[in-house]
Amino acid sequence: MLRFEQVSKSYPGGFVALDRVSFELQKGEMAFLTGHSGAGKSTMLKLISLIERPSTGRVVINGIDLSGIKPGQIPYVRRDIGMIFQDHRLLMNHTVFDNVALPLVIEGFTGRDMARRVHAALDQVGLLDKARCLPATLSGGEAQRVGIARAVVNKPPLLLADEPTGNLDPDLSKDIMRVFEAFNQAGVSVLVASHDLSLIARMRYRTMTLKSGKMINDGLMHNEETL
Amino acid sequence: MSILFNGRASGASDSAPGLLQKLMMGVVTHLRQAVSSLGELWRSPVWTLVTIAVLGVSMTLPATLHVLVKNLQQVSSNYDQSFEISLFLKNDVTETDIATLVTLLQGDRDVGKVRLIDKTAAMAEFKQESGFGEAITFLDQNPLPDVLLVTPSQSKPAAAEALMNKLQQERFVELAKLDISWLERLAAIMSLVQQVVYTIAALLLCGALLVIGNTIRLLIMDKKAEIEVMKLVGATDSFIQRPFLYTGIWLGVFGGFLAFLVIELMLFWLRGAIANVTQLYQSGFSLNVLTLQEFGILMLIAIGLGLVGSYLAVRSHIKAIEPC
Repeated sequence: MLRFEQVSKSYPGGFVALDRVSFELQKGEMAFLTGHSGAGKSTMLKLISLIERPSTGRVVINGIDLSGIKPGQIPYVRRDIGMIFQDHRLLMNHTVFDNVALPLVIEGFTGRDMARRVHAALDQVGLLDKARCLPATLSGGEAQRVGIARAVVNKPPLLLADEPTGNLDPDLSKDIMRVFEAFNQAGVSVLVASHDLSLIARMRYRTMTLKSGKMINDGLMHNEETL
Repeated sequence: MSILFNGRASGASDSAPGLLQKLMMGVVTHLRQAVSSLGELWRSPVWTLVTIAVLGVSMTLPATLHVLVKNLQQVSSNYDQSFEISLFLKNDVTETDIATLVTLLQGDRDVGKVRLIDKTAAMAEFKQESGFGEAITFLDQNPLPDVLLVTPSQSKPAAAEALMNKLQQERFVELAKLDISWLERLAAIMSLVQQVVYTIAALLLCGALLVIGNTIRLLIMDKKAEIEVMKLVGATDSFIQRPFLYTGIWLGVFGGFLAFLVIELMLFWLRGAIANVTQLYQSGFSLNVLTLQEFGILMLIAIGLGLVGSYLAVRSHIKAIEPC
């Protein structure tokens, strides 16, 4: 489904963000990506969503090498990937409904068809009653769930989350993770970058650990001292 | 169609059954963007009004000059048709000679109309108009020649001049006279004025283009975060830039209409003054206003300016905004 083959990313000035990273995420698999800030978690997600391009190596999604994707095709690739951000990146002067509908509007949906899909997505994250609210009136956990609804509204096969619980307290974080689990059980591949180790350890999913751009651990994490 | 996942239905067009429905959805999307960009303008009224005013004024000046030139041309074209060649005949011609000449001229293809003013008639007219009155009766003999007024069949200065040169050679003609130099001067001045109008118009419209581009650039900068999010969820550049292009079109529509209103108001205001002047000169001159066609051209130019101005801003700035 998602495969990194000896991927390195260095920035002008010599900073190496990723150093020969390889892994494969199976279809329908859920995994965590962890490590200190600056370890290269965000860089990895940016390489998948084509915000950045690798210096060497190949990123392959569903058998298609992303290096062959032309700039004009990038938007279409991103439509296949649901992305969730730490600061949730909602449009603050649009309602929750409009925010979730955005990917559908971009793809040309209109009217009842669109409303049906938006309501389904909001229902999945438990925010159906907030559809008419503005993001500013929502709590942090609710805003993050709106972000998740927006990411899944067009049913992408791959879901990426960058520190989705970064600003949330432990209870809310657990709620968010349960939402990801639910989507994973519906067949979506999920990759969550997070440094919330205690939460990850409790979830018992495959965990990849990055340190200074190198993959130092890949598998179930049993204790937090491996870092 | 999805690039990564072969066979995955993505987008409304994949799930829509018919071509007609796809077309309908496209139209709806466009309408929605057009209306929402109108709403965007409403949200930042000051910049919108300034831009519309700049566009309107820049369109008003050349359009007014155009109306002015048009009216001047109307005046001069009245004179254009009225040039005549005066043939002063030799003193010793007889009436038979004149009759022969008139018949001859009437057979000429270049000649439109021939009118004879004989000595006596000319004298009577002179007596009446000149104010010498009785003094003229003391003259022994009539000093005025017989005159033939020839109107060329083609009312062009060059044709008239050629005809004049030809008639000069006639046996009974003492002198042929055609006063067209002032007409030529008028025509030259008119074309000069027209060139000046076009140059000023071009300069003003360039200025308007820059102002529109700047307004759109500010709008884009204002929505930078929003554009980043749209790019992250898979919006193409053309989708993101379309509302801004519609904004440019709206600015053009309002700017053009403002220019039209200003011109109409100005003409309405001037009409009274012009009526006074023309009455004094006893001329049948009436002020020409903008025709429907000219109004259409004005609006088209304004909308074109809005579109091009916003396109220039959009092309460089939307590509530059990338999520990070």
